Amino acid sequence: MVEQSLLIARAAFVVLLYLFIWRVVRLSVRDVRAPQESLVLSAAAARAVGLGSALAEPTRPRGGASLSVVASAVFPVGTRVLLDGDLLIGRATDCDVVLEGDETASGHHARTRRTADGVVLVDLASTNGTLVNGVRVDSERLLADGDTVRIGTTDLTFEADGSR
Amino acid sequence: MIGRLRTPRNRELVNLLLVAAITVSGFLAVFVARDNAVSTVSLTYAGLFLAPYAAAHLFLRVVLPAADPYLLPCAALLSAIGEIEIYRIDPVLARTQSLWVGVGIVVLVVVVRLFDDPRRLEALRYTAGVAAVLLLLATVVLGTSVNGARLWIRVGSFQIQPGEFAKVLLVVFMAGYLRVNGEVLTHPTRRVLRVGIPALRHVVPLVALWGAALVLLVAVNDFGSSLLYYAVFLAMLYVATGRPLYVGGGIAAATVGGAAAVRGAAHVRERIDTWIDPWRTARGSGYQIIQSLYSIADGGVFGSGFGRGFVLIGHDTVIPAASTDFIYSVIATETGLAGAAGLLLVYLVVVFRGLKIASVADDTFTKLLAAGLAFALGFQAFVIVAGVTKLLPLTGITLPFVSYGGSSVVANFGLLGLLLCASARANRLEGRG
Repeated sequence: MVEQSLLIARAAFVVLLYLFIWRVVRLSVRDVRAPQESLVLSAAAARAVGLGSALAEPTRPRGGASLSVVASAVFPVGTRVLLDGDLLIGRATDCDVVLEGDETASGHHARTRRTADGVVLVDLASTNGTLVNGVRVDSERLLADGDTVRIGTTDLTFEADGSR
Repeated sequence: MIGRLRTPRNRELVNLLLVAAITVSGFLAVFVARDNAVSTVSLTYAGLFLAPYAAAHLFLRVVLPAADPYLLPCAALLSAIGEIEIYRIDPVLARTQSLWVGVGIVVLVVVVRLFDDPRRLEALRYTAGVAAVLLLLATVVLGTSVNGARLWIRVGSFQIQPGEFAKVLLVVFMAGYLRVNGEVLTHPTRRVLRVGIPALRHVVPLVALWGAALVLLVAVNDFGSSLLYYAVFLAMLYVATGRPLYVGGGIAAATVGGAAAVRGAAHVRERIDTWIDPWRTARGSGYQIIQSLYSIADGGVFGSGFGRGFVLIGHDTVIPAASTDFIYSVIATETGLAGAAGLLLVYLVVVFRGLKIASVADDTFTKLLAAGLAFALGFQAFVIVAGVTKLLPLTGITLPFVSYGGSSVVANFGLLGLLLCASARANRLEGRG
């Protein structure tokens, strides 16, 4: 009885240990291949980390408005920023999206604002300007699905709500 | 629906349940081997041990739902294996250790509350740097000597090991320093023989750190910490600049300094001699490492099983310092190659997650912080495991989360808290890791 249970406990320990490692490695590798699975926050999770109100209604379809990096010196291409509430974009470290090391971006370069009509991009009197589809934004501009936004050296594509 | 269930925290819960099962099977084996009967007391022990982790999990669910789901279960697994072996060596020590794990979880909670945005730490970089130097100086001046190395400070009935805390503080300082100065080191303006050489004033702090590591080696006789701090420093320098020149130059400088130390200081030479041929001093300085090697060999592929290994002679351990520095040898005796290799894989997973957090993070400070912390943890495990297996000269340093010791446990939970904060911030951005 004692011998058997000892053997079972030993075997269980080794099997479970490797099961744990296998599980973690398998899921981690999947993370690398298909990042969206574990990195997109659910509405409740986003609210809890203080990501604002845009994603707050749990009934809304997933994939709210977002900006995706298409070319950049400072961000990996494919990085997607969810536009929930006001996001401050710029070189300063207190921004929500930090364009670190990009000398062509201003400290507080631009911000996004959600309105009833959609997402409005506001240029914060930046030195080199904010371009939408190659045109400099005067003070602010309503973004349409597919618009290309250029801030400093970073190009981003705007996707409106539920466009996925 | 499935998508909503696959949140990071639900994943963490599943992983923690798996760890709980491993813990129960381990404690069960130790109890059966000791009392020759199957008892439910082991379940109580495992439950008590796991309670702080359950609390930490619930806390993260509320405060940091986007944090990495693998770090906490890995830490739980490492400390569970440590706790099982410590219990097997000395039940009284195990009780103290579980108390320290509780304190560690409290520290983790405080760290997460204070620095849920890790960039807040950047303002404290000089404070962290000064605090780290003061802690290390305190060890040199006030330290008491244990096994020839001065690592401990006695405060009342307590002994604290400031080096463990200094490790975390140094990473914070380096991350802050390199975020500001990384640029000038990456793109120096002066060129010598077509190789960019940064201006002297930018190099001075780096040389100072090299000197500090050497002082640690010679004055404090702490080879392990010296190697750990220096390796973390080089790794972070490489992450910040991407220039192999610094790593090569750093290793060359360390080799020159180390060689001088071996020539100049008798205790350093003795350490090296013991490493090369411990059998020559088998009854003296070589005793510990020889006992360790025999214990590991004794374990074979699957080990003797928990509670069954040749670990204790009467009330003494076969290897001196078995519950602290040499716990890896004890684990290798009782769980064999399978268990010991599994343990190392868990460390690799932690380092991998740390580097992944660094690659996803969107600001340099968080990147450097996550990479530095992950590297520090992984390299510390490497240094002590290499020491007890005679790959490197032996050195007194703890195996993170596994070894017995309050300072080590508490400092490493603080480190884990910072990594969790960094991952939560990094995961705000959806991107390709």
